[in-house]
Amino acid sequence: MNSLDPRVSRLPQVGQEGKIFPKAPLDQFGTYEVFVQSKEGKPFQHEGIVHAPNLELAYVLAKETFTRRFTCVSLYVVDTRDVFVSPLTDGNRNVYDLLDDVNDDEGKNKFEIYHLAKRGKQHMYAGTVVAASVGGALSKAKAQFGKEKIVYNVWAIETSNIRFTQHEERELWLTLPEKKFRDAAEYKGGGKLKNFLESSSKS
Amino acid sequence: MYGGGNTFEGIKTDSITLEDPIKLAEFEARIERGEKIEPTDWMPQLYRKQLIRMIEQHGHSEIIGALPEGTWITRAPGFKRKMALMAKVQDEVGHAQLLYSAAETLGKSREQMIDDLITGKSKYSNIFNYPTFTWADCCFISWLVDAGAIVNQLANAKGSYGPYCRALDRICAEESFHLKYGHHCVIYLASGTKKQRDMFQEALNRWWPPMMHFFGPSDKISTHTEVLMKWKVKMGTNDDMRNQFLDMYVPKIWELGFTIPDPKLKKNIETNLPAGQAGRWEYTEPDWEEFKRVINGDGPCNKERLEVRRVAEERGKWVREALKTPKTKYVMPLA
Ligand SMILES: [Fe+2]
Ligand SMILES: [Fe+2]
Ligand SMILES: [Fe+2]
Repeated sequence: MNSLDPRVSRLPQVGQEGKIFPKAPLDQFGTYEVFVQSKEGKPFQHEGIVHAPNLELAYVLAKETFTRRFTCVSLYVVDTRDVFVSPLTDGNRNVYDLLDDVNDDEGKNKFEIYHLAKRGKQHMYAGTVVAASVGGALSKAKAQFGKEKIVYNVWAIETSNIRFTQHEERELWLTLPEKKFRDAAEYKGGGKLKNFLESSSKS
Repeated sequence: MYGGGNTFEGIKTDSITLEDPIKLAEFEARIERGEKIEPTDWMPQLYRKQLIRMIEQHGHSEIIGALPEGTWITRAPGFKRKMALMAKVQDEVGHAQLLYSAAETLGKSREQMIDDLITGKSKYSNIFNYPTFTWADCCFISWLVDAGAIVNQLANAKGSYGPYCRALDRICAEESFHLKYGHHCVIYLASGTKKQRDMFQEALNRWWPPMMHFFGPSDKISTHTEVLMKWKVKMGTNDDMRNQFLDMYVPKIWELGFTIPDPKLKKNIETNLPAGQAGRWEYTEPDWEEFKRVINGDGPCNKERLEVRRVAEERGKWVREALKTPKTKYVMPLA
């Protein structure tokens, strides 16, 4: 094939032009949910997903996909299947009112609780509770931080399933501000443009 | 979408009459109130179908759009340009990841989207089927094609589907670097030697017709999309988007002393328009036959663009296979 693209014109070719074997399900791997903390003291928020073969690679890919450009102080990932998701409500219906109360005070498992406070926005970290089951965790969450504002959707994630950023990994983001070549503010063409306009109006 | 307008040809609206009228009314009232639709909400089949199609095409356009610029990384003039172009191309591919994820929340798998791109079943923005002969072509894309994409993306970020809007907010934030970088490149060529100026003028001559196609067929000939406008899937007509682009960028091109290859191009300030819009641009009617021909596969680069994507997929296969974890089950991403 005649092409200006070296990947076509120079590399050895494989397979058959225009043909591809239909992909098997999970060819692109399962999904992991990504949560980012933008600044010290600010809550974590949900950012989106990555496809990855395991939790560790999900962490690496999340760093590339979601924090390549924006600095943050911490990031974590969890398998989509490990997130309990409540129904979604609207109007002035608090989702906690739909959930049954469960009492399991003996539990020792930690759960991270996320709230959707407005449709269209991201899920935000509301707090951490200790319980034996997801049901118990949600009952505690309701008592502790589900009363003030209407919550439309709640997520509960068992903390032990999360891949957190380790303390020494925090320097991952330290070099970001140095990468000026991909910062819009670095491209001030203004001076050169002004000189150009002045000299062209003279001639 | 990245390049607008080419998505909605021949939509059939009869399926709407089969929807539950009460649910449909609630759905429309929610959009009317300015609330976003989230993945687990009820939605009409047509809404789901058109959104998948639009978001998927947008994702493909980011991937394929990275190719004509990508070939210039090795030949970029100087280290700084090389670093910047690499970062930009990497951003574009990242945009595709975000968009594919948003489309997945509507029920189409990433595997299916990739297959549909490679077999030609799904479309992508027409403009990337043209070649980048010189560095100036690459600068045209970075500045003006990205500018056109931003016009579309900013409009679509106000749409009704939550996950798509959130992806677009993120994308728009990164685009500001692309636009500034692209403009910077063009200012350099404009204020350089005669050879450099000529090089950009020639690129402009080559790229202007596809740039006019970028926003999709004229409103006079494109299919009616009222229902998609009402549902805030489509946020403006093709001609509105084109006009907005011309309004913002024609003066900037002229300012640099370049000539746009259309003798009829001028702003008509007398046209009656809603308040806030000063006038409407007039131009030679773009060649819509060529647009159709290229979008259906017969452009200068359609084949090689898909070939690059297919070969990359084939080459990566053993890696994906080696990393597969049999215990995994697929579930739809959450938001
Ligand atoms: Fe992009
Ligand atoms: Fe672009
Ligand atoms: Fe871009």
